[in-house]
Amino acid sequence: MRLEYPPNVKIIRVPCTGKVDVMHMLRAIQKGADGVYCVGCLEGTCHYNEGNLRCRERVNHVRMLLEEVGLEGDRARMYNLSSGEGPTFAEYAKEMTAHIKELGPNPLKKMDT
Amino acid sequence: MAEKSGSVMVLGAGIAGMQASLDLANSDYNVYLVDKSPTIGGMMARLDKTFPTNDCAM
Amino acid sequence: MNINLITNSEVKTIEGEPGNFDVTLVNHPRYIDPVKCTGCGECARHCPVTAVNEYNLGLDDRRAAYIEYPQAVPLAFAIDTDTCVGCGLCEKMCIAKAISYDDEERETEVKVGSVILSSGSQGFDPSDLDYLGYGKYANVVTSEEFERILSASGPYFGHVMRPLDREEPKRIAWLQCVGSRDVNKTGNGYCSSVCCMYAVKEAMIAKEHIHGDLDCVVFNMDMRTFGKDYEKYYNRARYKDGVQFVKARIHTIIEIPETGDLIVKYADETGAMQEEVFSMVVLSVGLKIPDTSVELANRLGIKLNKYNFTATTPFTPVLTNRPGIYTCGVFQGPKDIPGSVTEASAAACLAGSDIAESRGKDIEKIEVPEEIDVMSQDPRIGVFVCNCGINIGGIVDVPDVQEYASKLPYVVFSDSNLFTCSQDTQDKIKEMIVEHKLNRLVVASCSPKTHEPMFMETLEACGINKYLFEMANIRNQNSWIHSNNPDIATQKAKDLVRMAVARSLTLKSLQEKVVPVNKQALVIGGGIAGMNASMGLANQGFNVFLVEKEAELGGFSRKLHHTIEGDDIRAYVEKLIGEVTANEKVQVLRDARIIGFEGFKGSFATEVAVGSQAEKQKIEHGVIIVATGATEYTPKEFLYGEDDRVVTQVQLTDRLEEKGASDLSSVVMIQCVGSRNEENENCSRICCQSAVKNALHIKKFNPDAQVYVLYRDIRTYGMLEDYYTEARKQGVIFIRFEKDTPPSVESSSEGILVTVEDHILKQNLEIRADLLTLSAGMTATDTDELSGIMKLNRSPEGFFIEAHVKLRPVDMPSEGVFLCGTAHGPKLISETISQAQAAASRAITFLAKDAIKLSAITAKVDTDHCVKCLTCVRSCPFGVPVFNEKEKVIEINEAICHGCGVCAGVCPRQAIQLSFYEDDQILSKIDALMEAV
Repeated sequence: MRLEYPPNVKIIRVPCTGKVDVMHMLRAIQKGADGVYCVGCLEGTCHYNEGNLRCRERVNHVRMLLEEVGLEGDRARMYNLSSGEGPTFAEYAKEMTAHIKELGPNPLKKMDT
Repeated sequence: MAEKSGSVMVLGAGIAGMQASLDLANSDYNVYLVDKSPTIGGMMARLDKTFPTNDCAM
Repeated sequence: MNINLITNSEVKTIEGEPGNFDVTLVNHPRYIDPVKCTGCGECARHCPVTAVNEYNLGLDDRRAAYIEYPQAVPLAFAIDTDTCVGCGLCEKMCIAKAISYDDEERETEVKVGSVILSSGSQGFDPSDLDYLGYGKYANVVTSEEFERILSASGPYFGHVMRPLDREEPKRIAWLQCVGSRDVNKTGNGYCSSVCCMYAVKEAMIAKEHIHGDLDCVVFNMDMRTFGKDYEKYYNRARYKDGVQFVKARIHTIIEIPETGDLIVKYADETGAMQEEVFSMVVLSVGLKIPDTSVELANRLGIKLNKYNFTATTPFTPVLTNRPGIYTCGVFQGPKDIPGSVTEASAAACLAGSDIAESRGKDIEKIEVPEEIDVMSQDPRIGVFVCNCGINIGGIVDVPDVQEYASKLPYVVFSDSNLFTCSQDTQDKIKEMIVEHKLNRLVVASCSPKTHEPMFMETLEACGINKYLFEMANIRNQNSWIHSNNPDIATQKAKDLVRMAVARSLTLKSLQEKVVPVNKQALVIGGGIAGMNASMGLANQGFNVFLVEKEAELGGFSRKLHHTIEGDDIRAYVEKLIGEVTANEKVQVLRDARIIGFEGFKGSFATEVAVGSQAEKQKIEHGVIIVATGATEYTPKEFLYGEDDRVVTQVQLTDRLEEKGASDLSSVVMIQCVGSRNEENENCSRICCQSAVKNALHIKKFNPDAQVYVLYRDIRTYGMLEDYYTEARKQGVIFIRFEKDTPPSVESSSEGILVTVEDHILKQNLEIRADLLTLSAGMTATDTDELSGIMKLNRSPEGFFIEAHVKLRPVDMPSEGVFLCGTAHGPKLISETISQAQAAASRAITFLAKDAIKLSAITAKVDTDHCVKCLTCVRSCPFGVPVFNEKEKVIEINEAICHGCGVCAGVCPRQAIQLSFYEDDQILSKIDALMEAV
């Protein structure tokens, strides 16, 4: 559909969001990503029943851990859409980017190097 | 009666001819797919996108 | 692949009988040997001749030595001798020595068992329709030309421009039904079935391409968006994208010479003449059978109908009058891509039935070379960066990305290609794998969804494990979305390539499990669809279990009488039931319910409760065909159920068959009841023809009866249009209403009083009806329980969902499961029959094999680290992990693992890894991405 969204979003392919681990999200933040979000199927339509619900739980867990170490929990988010909703995907990418820009850069990035 | 052939001829290599050929080939029949042009693909290869999903026709 | 491509060829004669035909082919000279030609294009580059490029419909030029398009199959050039001057330059330039000027026309003989005619159609040529100005005004184009204008590989590289001055248009008009639904000017009385949808599509895409303001207006008589989910597409264009739809009859088009703009003069619905100015006009040309196909049919003795489509009957939709010769696609009748693909599979099913005993006789098995053990070697990565024509190369600096890739760790070879997916590039990749001893492949191009299998095959052909492959999507996820910012797109492409290379280093060789195929089929639903699917399978020698929930076969068709063509449905169904029950390969289970299900493609086990005693029976089978059908919607609207003078079309048919129509002086029909509304957005496809059929039936019994059809759009597609024309000729009155101002109805002692706003008279009409008939839509059979047990996906409307609308219209997303009939969506009996045969054909592609390979992307347990906490056992949505009491370990059966990775995610000790998505394979991408930060 060639819908424009911000180039700072890079996609990592997984078979189902149920495969995304807390460790994967934390690693991204630890290495300096300003935000991380998972995009799963609409709730109730997971091809594997509840992978996307599990992912949401893990995202919530990551948010909690981030808060605990003094980072903004909202750097991690979960979004849901169906595979036919390209425009919504682009919308979410824009929304996430704008939101992260408000939060400013990941402070861990400064500590690194 | 003579033993039957294990081959099918498909005349016209547009999307219909290609699909028929693929089904038959995958079902272990031998297929001759004949087209009068130098390239297979037919009319669909000239389309840009296709409804209702707007996928690329190629 | 056992498909022999024979291009530049035509059939001269077909002699013999089913099973043993002798076909004589005429092979026209191509002048370039497709076997020797490498597709390098040196011949075209040096050819001095400029010729009209038919592929872009004359909108640009090509050489006399040419290839239609870069992805062409076979990827070989040809010489067009009509324009070739014979200078000999190409022959001198061709390193492959593929060119031979003395190539001659030859005849070859081929022996085959059956023949499928799929010669297709061409767009109607509107040159003779003076009033449209095509050929006279440059900015009047056909829809076929507009497709090329939209295309990135078209004459304007996807920039929407009008031909006269290459200006971006501000307003575009589409004129529907050019060469269709027009007996007077063109003699083509049929509806071409596809033009409404492609016009909607072209308008949407044009708006997407032109980011600024573009007005799109589609002038039509009726919008015929009758396919599955097509109404949603139309509504999206209309209400979201702002495409305008105007009911009109076009009078003339006149060019304003100063600007090249066009004045469209038309009569609106009230009959008033209107004028509007457009920058460009697109003629939505219909589908027409080319003269060459008519000549072919005449040579072969194949009967055609009056519009030159193949003459078929509703119950034998792909049979021609010559046994052993089948028809499909648009040569059978006007239809869209999903319809053509479905019908092609149906033709394949019947063509195979004729020669089932000779299956496998004429084919050679291709051996995949033995796999080389590369896991012990140091990684040697090859990176191929694709330009995708200009899709990537036009935005991303591909040479720069390639240069960058070549310096990444373990990359020993890199290259860039115009089309990495083309046949010649595959050969090149193979050469490079061998030459540079590559043991991992990275392709930076498009989506793995579409192209991963192809590149994996290329690896396999070189003896390299196919899972040592990684793709970077620098098109869909990059050049397409950052087209306004080439520098950022190039940087992102580098990031994506770096991530892909990093991941490829972590990949491992994986072995695919081979499972035997159970050669029996389970068909669910014993209506017309299920019975035809069963016969299709049985006729190719496979055993079928046909499960019907009712006490007798036939399904909804038992309530029907005749098709619109006049064929007797009940007689057909009785005959079909007789054939099914007499066939020893088909076991019919009546009064049966599915209560349990397990397994995977090639090896399913279904538990069925049969008969009044609910006797349990377990069936083992390799494939499933779902044919659960649909029923007529029970209206809540228009006094239905309150006044017995309000009936549905099915009830009206019953009444007409029983009592005739002599006592009816006035009948009103209301269309789209239970369709195209908030509850059910889709069109039910068949109700317009039901109304026309019954209206004609009433007129036949009682010519004096008044019949009014209140409609929104009449959707008598294809050949059905003839019946609509006939109904109007017989005096049936058609009155259009808008969705927002539906008719209102009232009971009275005189009859039902129907009030509707007439668009032509601009006032309310009150019609008294003896009988009000509601064209109730179709609703899917209740399959809540079944879909739950078998885990089959349905749309919100309750119809089952196919794997891909166009390319896999009868496959379901779960492999080995197929779909047909009205369980898929509303359709005619003829369409149901061809779809059922198609489902059988698709199922046979599985059943014909002795064994199938399963994906190697499955979860594996590291039993040394596993503490047997059983979290995976509780979490798996499919109950795959089990605790083996004897061995005291967790086991995951890779044959039934779906590869979702949930277990790997929940395992607290990371003792489960999902192959191809192992933790370090995911983390490697994150780390590589963040390297640059």
